[in-house]
Amino acid sequence: MTAVAFKPSAEAAQSGARLLVSTLEQLGVEVVFGYPGGAIMPIYDALAGSKLQHYLCRHEQGAAFAADSYARVSGKVGVCMATSGPGATNLVTGIANAMLDSVPMVCITGNVAQGVMGTDSFQEVDILGVTLPLVKHSYLVRHAADIPAIIQEAFHIARSGRPGPVLIDLPKDVQFELTSEPRGLHLPNEIAVAEPSVIAEAEAAIRAARRPVLYVGGGAKISGAVEAVREFAALTGIPQVSTLNALGSIPTGQDNYLGMLGMHGTPAANEAVQGSDLLIVVGARFDDRATGKLAEFAPEAGVIHFDIDPSEIGKLRSVAVGVVGDLKPNLEALNRRLADGPAIEVSAWADQWRARSAETQVRYDAPGDKVYAPALLNELSRLAGPGFIAACDVGQHQMWVAQHCEFSRPEAHITSGGLGSMGFGLPAGIGAKLAEPDAVVVTITGDGGVMMNIQELATVNRFNIPLKILLLDNSRLGMVRQWQEFFFERNFSEVDLSDNPDFVKVAEAFGIEAFRIERRDQVTAGLERLLAAEGPILAHVIIDPAENVWPLVPPGKNNAQMMHAATAEGEL
Amino acid sequence: MTDTIHIQIDRADGSLQRLIGLVERRGFHIDGINMADEGDFRRIALTVRSRDAARSTDNLGRQIDRLFGARRIGNDMIQSEAA
Repeated sequence: MTAVAFKPSAEAAQSGARLLVSTLEQLGVEVVFGYPGGAIMPIYDALAGSKLQHYLCRHEQGAAFAADSYARVSGKVGVCMATSGPGATNLVTGIANAMLDSVPMVCITGNVAQGVMGTDSFQEVDILGVTLPLVKHSYLVRHAADIPAIIQEAFHIARSGRPGPVLIDLPKDVQFELTSEPRGLHLPNEIAVAEPSVIAEAEAAIRAARRPVLYVGGGAKISGAVEAVREFAALTGIPQVSTLNALGSIPTGQDNYLGMLGMHGTPAANEAVQGSDLLIVVGARFDDRATGKLAEFAPEAGVIHFDIDPSEIGKLRSVAVGVVGDLKPNLEALNRRLADGPAIEVSAWADQWRARSAETQVRYDAPGDKVYAPALLNELSRLAGPGFIAACDVGQHQMWVAQHCEFSRPEAHITSGGLGSMGFGLPAGIGAKLAEPDAVVVTITGDGGVMMNIQELATVNRFNIPLKILLLDNSRLGMVRQWQEFFFERNFSEVDLSDNPDFVKVAEAFGIEAFRIERRDQVTAGLERLLAAEGPILAHVIIDPAENVWPLVPPGKNNAQMMHAATAEGEL
Repeated sequence: MTDTIHIQIDRADGSLQRLIGLVERRGFHIDGINMADEGDFRRIALTVRSRDAARSTDNLGRQIDRLFGARRIGNDMIQSEAA
């Protein structure tokens, strides 16, 4: 991704608002999500007639989530905009979501005119101050002439290195200000590569290891290193595990791939990591949902940590070798060294985990005639085929998607990993479908999460976005209910959502085709109907409120202390 | 243990808040602050103390390095005592 130098317009003088729009056009932006309001009206005035396609969402949080998901699927910078005050604060959850999952996003907010800033004027909020902990960087634009340079720099910062959201706050007087001398920038595209001696150290540690495990994080996708990761896996035969955000980086079902690690990971993945003597960590940050009790995480393992962010090296786990820089060239350099030397011999270790993986395979033959969500999700991903993209909400269904869907590429699994923000699923589906119109995009959501951004059904209908919505309804806040069952002595507090609206009627009221799946024998036909629909469609699936996500590492335990469905019954 | 971190920051909206907020958010007390105007930028010496033993000023320094418009000039260990 190279930065584009700004070409000054031939026009004599133009407003800050027009300059903003023309700079976005020159940067190749095609899609913008947003919602207008008083302090951003000059920009909306300039948008009309521009090359930008603006998607009006029905809440600024929906716009931010859609832009985030658009960025994750397209690999481009997502752009969203909102007015000052409530418009800007409504973006905040979306900005935090992008920050925690390292998603490149540029958020543009209008603000009150500079003359009244700091006087508590109408719809005035210090959004720059509010978002300081949540952004990679931010700007308050003081002069219209600075707009091209700031926008270019913001895009560069958003997507370079470890990506993240950048906020640009534009006071209304700057949007109106006429300027004839806009300043542009030419930004170099630097790729950080580690010293050959560091790669050699990593190679030596790998050659010395007897029980190595490859631990893949979301950085592999971000850096375009998925092929290099797969090549490393194929070259060495080292067992592989994935974080939630890396699912699909290694195809589900590949030899020596043990699945997701962590709180709802597979027994094989967690046990292999716990027993390893070397973890080769690629673009991951030792999140607590992945590591369990950190002090007891992989106690005998040395760590080789590949990451572009130097502040991640040693943040939570001390490392033997820190390989700082872009994962792709660094892994490629490592792969070349490994290919040139003698073959890595870890077949007995790998066989052990392949066998463990096989004996702990999930079973989908749960008794009863109620819909069994894990089986339904497994069938969905197989019926949907390789073009499948799951845009998840947050909660039990999110973990079931991670555990039971099959993914062949990281873009196929869009999830709010770091922030865990309910309400992500529906707008994320919109962003994903617009980023990849030919993909089969399915929002997989719950009855709690869907209600947090239900208004985005209006966006789906307005633009006739052929999004498929699978709503798993247990009439509960299922994940909270599950924790109350296990860790709060079954004191079920404020988790009953049995007064939910009729979701089929809700969807129909928004102009969206909808139907219900209530029994197991309706699942296959229902999924086929969902997948065959040409326009937007919602399937409302009734599932058992008592169903839990298994297995589970209890809070405060290490990853070898997993609870399983069968053993838990006895403990309760 | 307290460390003093010397930093140059650009004169930009929010730059001081950004720096101070980062240090506190990442688990450090700010026991002392010294700031001088140097034209286009400001020079700041922050005396910091970690809230618990697990947090290192090395890592804090790398997190400061991630800020745009801020440059670390050096670390002086000025005082050692039980954490």
